[in-house]
Amino acid sequence: MRHFLVMTLFAALASVVFGAMAKDTNHERMLYGLKVFAEFMVIGLVLGWILYFIP
Amino acid sequence: MVKTERMQAEEVETAPGSAWLTGAAAWFVPGLGHLMQKRWWRAALMGGAVWICFFVGMAMGGHLFDLEAEGSSVLLQVPPMIANIGTGVLYVVSWLLDYGFKDDPAQAARATYEYGNTFLLIAGLLNYLTMLDAFDIAAGRKS
Repeated sequence: MRHFLVMTLFAALASVVFGAMAKDTNHERMLYGLKVFAEFMVIGLVLGWILYFIP
Repeated sequence: MVKTERMQAEEVETAPGSAWLTGAAAWFVPGLGHLMQKRWWRAALMGGAVWICFFVGMAMGGHLFDLEAEGSSVLLQVPPMIANIGTGVLYVVSWLLDYGFKDDPAQAARATYEYGNTFLLIAGLLNYLTMLDAFDIAAGRKS
């Protein structure tokens, strides 16, 4: 559980910076930040499960 | 390239001295570059993310890199050191206090050691992005 929380915190911090510096309007920035956050989480979980099956 | 095009290109590429100063301040103190331009929310979000990332990394037992390698090549220390240096004053103060640089086996045995390293590296890299954003705003390249 702790690993998941750390990954979530990492994704949140990185996506805040990516979102804040991208796009033109605040609405677009927020959407982009949420998209980056979701991508971090999904890719992290997928990679975690792939590595789980690799000895 | 005709003369007018070259002149226009030079105008676009030239950044004012204040932009370089803002960029340097943004690197040295995360968030300061945006604060200097009264971009309060950006300073809080981007600078705050860097500060939080650094202190969380330290709290998790992360390790900062310098050129004093123990058992490994000095060259291998350079890329992570460049990432760590991105945190500016946070790295400088840690270096002056010699805090976070020692290779302590007990610290390395912590479950969060590698997470801490990653957070410290990412803090610096995020601050490089923050610095470039502040520079671009100061140079008038983005709003």
